[in-house]
Formats: sequence, structure tokens, C-alpha cells
Amino acid sequence: MAYIELRDIDVSYDGRKKVLDKLALDVEEGQLVSLLGPSGCGKTTTLRVLGGFIQPNAGNVFVNGREYTNTPIHKRNFGIVFQSYALFPHMTVSDNIAFGLKMRHLSKSETEKKVRAILETVDLAEFAKRYPRELSGGQRQRVALARALVVGPELLLLDEPLSNLDAKLRLKMRVEIRELQQKTGITSVFVTHDQEECFSISDKVAVMNGGVIEQYDSPETIYTRPKTEFVARFVGFENFFDLRREGGGYCFRGIRFASALPEAAGERERKGAIRPEDIVILRDETPEGNVIEGTVAVRTYLGKTYQYKVRTPFGDLTAAGGATPPLAPGDQVRLYLPAEKLVVL
Amino acid sequence: MKKRRIWALLLVPGLALIVLFLVVPILRVILPSFAPEGRLSLSLYKDFLTDSFYLGILGRTVRVSLITCLICIVLGLPVSYYISRMQAGRKGVMIALATFPLLTNTVVRAFAWIVILGQEGIINKLMMSVGLISEPLRMLFTEGAIVVGSVYLFLPIMLTSLVSVMENIGEEVQEAALSLGANRFVSFMRIVVPLSMPGIIVGSVLVFTGTASAYSTPLMLGGNRNMMLSTLVYQQAMLLNNWDAASVISALMIVISYAVVGVLNGLSSKINKTEVTQ
Amino acid sequence: MKKSKFLLIVTILVYFFIFAPLVLIALTSFTTESYIGFPPVGFSLKWYAKVFATKSFMDAFRLSAVVSLAATALALLVGIPGAYALSRYNFRGKQFIKDLFFSPNMVPQVVMGFSLFVFIIVALKLNVRIALLIGLAVSVVTYAFRIVGASIDSLDFAIEEAGMSLGATRATVFFRIVLPNISSGIVSAFLLAFINAFNNVPLTIFLSGPGVVTLPVAMMNYIEYNYDPTVSALSVLMMLMSVLIMAVSEKLVRAGGRAG
Repeated sequence: MAYIELRDIDVSYDGRKKVLDKLALDVEEGQLVSLLGPSGCGKTTTLRVLGGFIQPNAGNVFVNGREYTNTPIHKRNFGIVFQSYALFPHMTVSDNIAFGLKMRHLSKSETEKKVRAILETVDLAEFAKRYPRELSGGQRQRVALARALVVGPELLLLDEPLSNLDAKLRLKMRVEIRELQQKTGITSVFVTHDQEECFSISDKVAVMNGGVIEQYDSPETIYTRPKTEFVARFVGFENFFDLRREGGGYCFRGIRFASALPEAAGERERKGAIRPEDIVILRDETPEGNVIEGTVAVRTYLGKTYQYKVRTPFGDLTAAGGATPPLAPGDQVRLYLPAEKLVVL
Repeated sequence: MKKRRIWALLLVPGLALIVLFLVVPILRVILPSFAPEGRLSLSLYKDFLTDSFYLGILGRTVRVSLITCLICIVLGLPVSYYISRMQAGRKGVMIALATFPLLTNTVVRAFAWIVILGQEGIINKLMMSVGLISEPLRMLFTEGAIVVGSVYLFLPIMLTSLVSVMENIGEEVQEAALSLGANRFVSFMRIVVPLSMPGIIVGSVLVFTGTASAYSTPLMLGGNRNMMLSTLVYQQAMLLNNWDAASVISALMIVISYAVVGVLNGLSSKINKTEVTQ
Repeated sequence: MKKSKFLLIVTILVYFFIFAPLVLIALTSFTTESYIGFPPVGFSLKWYAKVFATKSFMDAFRLSAVVSLAATALALLVGIPGAYALSRYNFRGKQFIKDLFFSPNMVPQVVMGFSLFVFIIVALKLNVRIALLIGLAVSVVTYAFRIVGASIDSLDFAIEEAGMSLGATRATVFFRIVLPNISSGIVSAFLLAFINAFNNVPLTIFLSGPGVVTLPVAMMNYIEYNYDPTVSALSVLMMLMSVLIMAVSEKLVRAGGRAG
């Protein structure tokens, strides 16, 4: 059994619409796993089910071999970092951090020792006697982390902990969180809607949509080999066109295509997808297959490159080209979709 | 035409009304109490504060106000918390219901308790008919009756004070406490209550000063044997024509009023929250 | 999060505590017997009839209504310009004036009553009714300041500036632009002030005289010597009056909000 196991979780608020539908998730010990998706996809709900703030209508929650499905929140030993940090405004930084230890009836000296240690770890030692309102966003975040970790929890749940920070701080803090997580080895589940943030620090990513996990893989796999159209769109694929499986490859409108990427399961009717920046605008080369001909319809200047909307029999495709000389609307163009970049859904 | 000063005229009626008919009359009544027989002296106050009868009444006033305040806090905290967690529509209804009694006359509200607590009142009749007691209990015209009537009068005020503060205490802070091992009760006592302090203080000021200055409730429920400062003022001024005593009591009542506000404001600025402004 | 059953029970009990006494009085007012008892025996409206037939109550009601109306009007007349000045202008000593305007709240009503009795009736030798009018006006003027003041604060000053830029004088702007837009605040303040003036006891007992008795005081006097359901009926009538006034206030405020 995995360290964290969610099995067949159903959650619905009004009895009709399911917010989570037979959701299953496995997290290995020591991993940092992210739940990624647009708002309303159920990622926060999943986290709250894990934390015990929501009772699932069906399904089970297991952590480290024990079942927690019906355990009340205060009996679980899970560390939680909230989006708004939820620091106790009427307590100092050290009192905030000591709170969990107080609840576990640790001796005063033990508590002081642990608080001091963790304040050192998050580099906030001189802020021990300050109040949350005197701290900056990044500092409050570190206090929230320290408070959650000092009690030695079984796992760490983070609910969009970086969304309230400005861009620069977000970059800095996500690295700090990852480093802390790896140093302590604590199994963590991280919720975010920011793809780059999630990809940069996670061992595995669960892309969620409408209450289900559409793909659960390493960031690299999700980025290069999305399994569904939703995931593909989410990570930046733009050109979708119909394909039919035929023989060892694919074919549509008489043009043959080959894809070097492993095929996802499905029927004969498929969809091909490729990123605009992966399309090669051919000049003199004539490769075998994977070529679509079309006419440039619109040219947009993006600063670094030009972007072309090309009218083809497969529909409008967007290609990014640094080609010199740039093409003009009306030009005939041949687009090459390299097999190793063409994804078949 | 001096444009700058014209708008000051807008303040004149208000100032005139308050200065002429509040400040002046009160000063006229209180200042002489510091100079009986023409010389500056605190003899009247000394006489008052060394008289056991008057001291008893002063003590009762403070005691009753304090107890009323505490009861309102104890009852108010759980109820306000529950209401503050309700959905917007139902919450509004609950608040409206709680504040409706504030529109009813104090005489009516005190009368209700006469009906309930009196010797021929509901409680006595009920207990006698069931055989619990053989003689009616004397519940009216006791200090306890004044407390009950005062709590009845001021609980809605404490409720509204607390609800408005508790609405701003988010769920996340409590969820954080729970996740750290605190059960619901501990989370309430250690997180919600401290964070509700501003509301508790505002409510306490209103309840304490209100109870200490109420007239009809102590009169109707306490009677002459349980006078408070307010009923004493009336008795001294209008029935006994002892204006000296009435002046001294008036001064003391104002001091108590400002003192309570001052002390509680001091407490609240210690907690770094907003001031109580009337 | 799960709602605690305990909290629900406590809330129900407290609300019961708040409402049961009033409901009790209402029920005792319908009895056919001549004593106050629960449960009421039979159903009769004779005690309500008796209220209207009791001269002291009717005279007292008339006095209360007229004096409270006049006092509230005076309070608003004084309070609205004052609130406007406090809201729109900054000047040295503003906080002091603000404290002064809200000081009636800090002074116990009995002290106010006694002081005004000595000042207006004894020293100035003015009519008791006038003393009553002035006293009640002072005691409810803070409603005008607070409620109307809040309305003015929330009114964007820019619309007054717009009016002035279109050629209106300050006075015109006040009457044609500001007043209509704070009408719901004025109505709120008026009704709240009226109810409080009408219900006042501590101030009015000092400012009463033979034939000059307000309704709450008349009721208190009656209870001292009579313990019968007439008082219950009168209580119900007074409660109905408050409910009616607040209902009308809600309607007016909502209508004003829609038009404004």
C-alpha cells in the first residue's frame, strides 16, 4: 500500500452534482505530489478530504497503513498550510508555532527547544516575539510552515500557499518549500493552479478536471506526453486535428503520419496535437509524411518570434517560426510535424 | 463674505442644544456639590461615601451591573458564535429577532418579569400546583430579580456586539487550530474568544453602563428595598427634596460611566484593537 | 464544518428566554378573568377596550406621541446639519466637538433628567411640556448624528462637486442633492429616535407633572396600584406599535434605496 491512499472518494454537496467522482490517488512516502487544475476541478476539495475538513460521501482515506476516513480533524496528525496562512493574530510567532506542541502537552522546556530549532530552520529566529501583522507575506508563509512541521506530522498539505505572494517571492518560496520538504523527507500534497510552479517542484503531478484525475505522472511525462485533450490544452498544446489509426501509423485526408510517442489507449478515431513551437516550417526539405500544406492567414509579431495562423485542410493551425525571412499572409507553406513531438490522443 | 466660516453655522444648533441643555444643566447641578456652603470641599462626598446606606446602594449598583455583564457574556458567546456561522439570510432573521425586544418599552419588559416572578406569578403558581413548594417563593423585589430583568434588557445588545465581531473571524484560523490538535472547545476558547475581545469589550461597556443607569427595571423588580443609584437619585431629588444628595449621586454616576469606558478602552488598546467610541 | 448540537440547543434556549416573556404577556391579555394568569381563561378583547377607555392612558398616549414627534423633529433639525458638517469638514477641535455631540450617550438618563428638571423647570420656570420636548430631543440627538452621519459618509462627495460644477450653490446642493440621497438614513434615524423618545422613562419621570405624564410612566403608575390584564393589553398595543413602525421603516428604507 502506498503511504497515502485515497480510494473511490465521492463528494457531492447537494446530493446531485458530484464534486469528486470515485477519485483515487496514491502517494509514495517522501514524495511531493501536486494537484493541478482550473478552479472548480476539485483539487482543493481533495485536499480538504485528506485533511478531514470534508467527509466524503463514499470512499476511504489511508495514511501509513491506518484508516483516517472518519477520524476527526484534531485527532489526525497532518500538517496544513492554508492559502491565507491562518496564523493566530493574537499570538506571537513563537506562540503560534508552539500551539501544536501545547496541544500535545509537551513540557515547557521541550516546547521552547523545538520552537527555537524550527525558527532557525526557516531563518526567522529574530522574529520570535513579533506578531503576524508585523511580518511580510513571505515571513508569514514560513511561520505557517514552521507551525505545521514542528509537531512532526505524518504528512504535509499545502493549499495554494504561494498565491498570495508577488511573483518574485513566489519563485523564491517555492524553492524553499521544496528544499525543506526534501530535507525533512515529509510526504506532501500541494494544490495549485499555476502550472510552472507545480512542475518545478513536484515529483508527480495529478491534473484534475471536473472531479476526476485525468493524468497522474511525472511533470516531464505530462508535459511531453499528455494523455487527454484537456491535459494537452492545459500544458500548452494548441493544434488539434482529427486522425485515424491505420496500419502502423495514422492517416487523415490521405496524408500519412507517424508518432514516436507511445500511444494512449483508444479507438480508431483519434486526435493529433502538437505545440506551435514544435511545428517546423519547411523550406527546401522534403521529409516522409507528417507534412501538412497550407496558406498563411495571419502573421503576429511576438517580439522574439513570429506566429503564423495557417489555413490547412485540417483546420487552422498555429505555428511559431523564427524563420528568416518571415512569411507573409497569402504565402504557401509546408508544415512539418516531427514524429517525436506529435502526440496522439 | 468669509466663505470658510459659513459652514460652521451648521454646527451651531447642535452645539447650542447640547451645551445649553446638557452641559450647562449638569454643571449647574454637579459643581455646587463641590462647594457646599460656598467653600471648596468634598464634605458632601465624604458624607455620602461613609454612609453605609448609600454605600450599600453604590455597591449593589456595581455588583448587579457586573453580574449582569458576566451573564450576558457567558450566554452571548455561544449564541453569537452560532449565529455568526449561519447563512446570510437566516442570520439576518436571527439578528432581527434578537433586537426586536430593544424596541419594546422597558416598562413592558419589566412587567413581563413581574408576571413571571411575582407571588401570584407563573413560576410560583406552577410550582405550587405541582406540589414542589407549599408557599410562594419571594423572587420579586430581590437583587436577583433586578439581575434577571437587566440581563433580559441587555442581552440583545451583547449579542449584536459579538456577532459583528465574530463574523470577521474566518474559519481557516479555527481549522488551523484543529489541524494542530485542538478540539472544537479548545479552539473556541483559545482562538475565537480572544479574537472576539473587541466585541466583548464594546458589549460589556454598553451592558455595564446600561444596567448601572437603568431606572424602570430596578424600580419595578427591586423595589424600595433594593435601590440602585438611579432609583436613589429620583427618591432623593423628587421625593425627599434632598438635592445635595442627588447632585453627589449624579456626579458619581457620571464618574462611573466615564471610568468604565476609560478602563475598557485602556484594555482594548492593550490588545491593539479599535477604541470604543460612543 | 459540522454544527454542534450543543450550540443549537443553547441558542434555542436563549431565544426562548428572550421571547417567552413577551409572548406570555400577550397571551394573558386575552383572558376573560380579571386577574393575570396563565393559561388565559377564555378569549376576550375587553381588556383592550378598557385600555382605550382609560383616560389616563389615552391622555398619556397623546402626550407621548406629540412630544416624541416634536422632540425627534428637533433632534433631526439640529442633527442633520451637524452631521453634515462633521462628515464633510475638517477643523481643529473636530474630535472634541464629535465627543461633545455624542456625550448624551455617556450621561445616565436619570442625571440628565434631574439636571434638566432643576434647570428648565425650576430655574427657567418653563412649561413642563417644553422641558420634556427639550430633554427628549437631547437624549435622541445622537441617533441623528450617528445614523445620518453614516449615510452622509457613504455618499460620494463627488456628486456634490458635480452639482456645484453645474452651477448650484452649496445650499442648493444640500437640499436638492444631498438630502434626497440620504433620505433612507434620515427615515431610519427618525424612526429609531422616535421609538426611543416614546419609550423613555428615566428622563421623563423627572419632567412630569400633574396632567403631564407620558405613556410609559402612566403604565408604571398604574401597575403600582392595579394588577390586571389591562396592563397586558397595553403592553401588546405598545409592542404592536413598535413592530408597525419598524415595518414601515423597512418599507420606506427599501423604497428609498431603490429610488436613490
